[in-house]
Amino acid sequence: MSNERMLMKGNEALAEAAVRAGCKCYFGYPITPQTEIAAYMSKRMPRCGGVFLQAESEIAAINMVYGAAATGVRAMTSSSSPGISLKSEGISYAAGCDLPCVIVNVQRGGPGLGGIQPAQSDYYLATKAGGHGDFSVIVYAPSSVQEMADFAVKAFDMADKYRMPVMILSDGLLGQMMEPVVFPEIKNNEPEKDWACTGHNNQRRHNVVNSLYLKPEELEQSNIERFKKYDTIKQELPEAETYLTEDAEIIVTGYGAAARIARSAVNAARAEGIKAGLIRPITLWPFPEKAYADTVDTAKAYLCTELSMGQMIDDVRLATSCRRPVRFFGRTGGVIPTPAEILAQIKLIKEELK
Amino acid sequence: MAKMTVLNDKCKGCGLCVTACPKKLIVLRKDIRTPKGYCPAECSDVSSCTGCALCYTMCPDCAIIVER
Repeated sequence: MSNERMLMKGNEALAEAAVRAGCKCYFGYPITPQTEIAAYMSKRMPRCGGVFLQAESEIAAINMVYGAAATGVRAMTSSSSPGISLKSEGISYAAGCDLPCVIVNVQRGGPGLGGIQPAQSDYYLATKAGGHGDFSVIVYAPSSVQEMADFAVKAFDMADKYRMPVMILSDGLLGQMMEPVVFPEIKNNEPEKDWACTGHNNQRRHNVVNSLYLKPEELEQSNIERFKKYDTIKQELPEAETYLTEDAEIIVTGYGAAARIARSAVNAARAEGIKAGLIRPITLWPFPEKAYADTVDTAKAYLCTELSMGQMIDDVRLATSCRRPVRFFGRTGGVIPTPAEILAQIKLIKEELK
Repeated sequence: MAKMTVLNDKCKGCGLCVTACPKKLIVLRKDIRTPKGYCPAECSDVSSCTGCALCYTMCPDCAIIVER
């Protein structure tokens, strides 16, 4: 198989990787800035025996994913912020039925219709309130076009491994930018799905996929079992990238596109002799608390950068047990901060620490 | 000495060649995926292949090449 480098848009790279990972059903509804995923799938899926269907609405699309996932095929949907709000009901149903599926959120500015420029204002939606009820979804935050592709494969593998929905939390910047990307040969990690509703031919008991429990004790039991699974995930899955954190006094943190800008600011700060470092969470749920806990003794302050008014900062404070000051810098509504702006904030904190 | 090759970019893992092979040499590789996301067919024992090309005849996607 070819390992050649290709120049692709983030959205297209994600779609191609999903096809290679064995995604056989894609249901979507167009919304800027994720429409390229649907466009690419409409072209690619019929050529490889898959299904592309443009649903009549986001709600229909997520419920089609819900149905497809119940039969055991790898199914995916994608949208941008306002569309994910609509999908949240279906995500809750899929989580309640323990169905593996992949939901892509290429974020844009909000609230309401907001704008079509990149933002990261859906952190709470993805990690805390993906819908009604007691549940979480695994959230991956890619930071480059290559990671858009890699995490699409990973998302399907983890969804099948843990039998739960997985969200890829990208943003308009990563979705629209072009970068070189390589598609390595993909290992098939799809397990046997003995729970899937595929027709029993009178050979076995029929499988039921359902999230309705009328007896409170049964519902409580299903929630307790699901949270046991979440505990295992919190042990096994948290992932973060650390950059120059060993001796860092000021640790800048951010995910996705914000981390790219923060990295430039950290390099600029180092060039000026300020000991700065970067922590980039790769999984947002489960949050990589250990990466922060490991640095809390050596660091003097944290700077959380986001393309929002400040959402991940809560988790950073919790992960550092509020032992160090955590400052925030973010632009929102589709405005992208520059490395110079973040560097100015780092210098400000450096002054305060004196 | 015959050689059977599967073109991974065309194979859709339908398994028809598996049933067609009179010597039962063809298996579906469950550990990898093709660029189209399928588990491709592969000749498990190259030295035993007679080159009868029944798999080539059976394949609906022209994904098999047999050289002899």
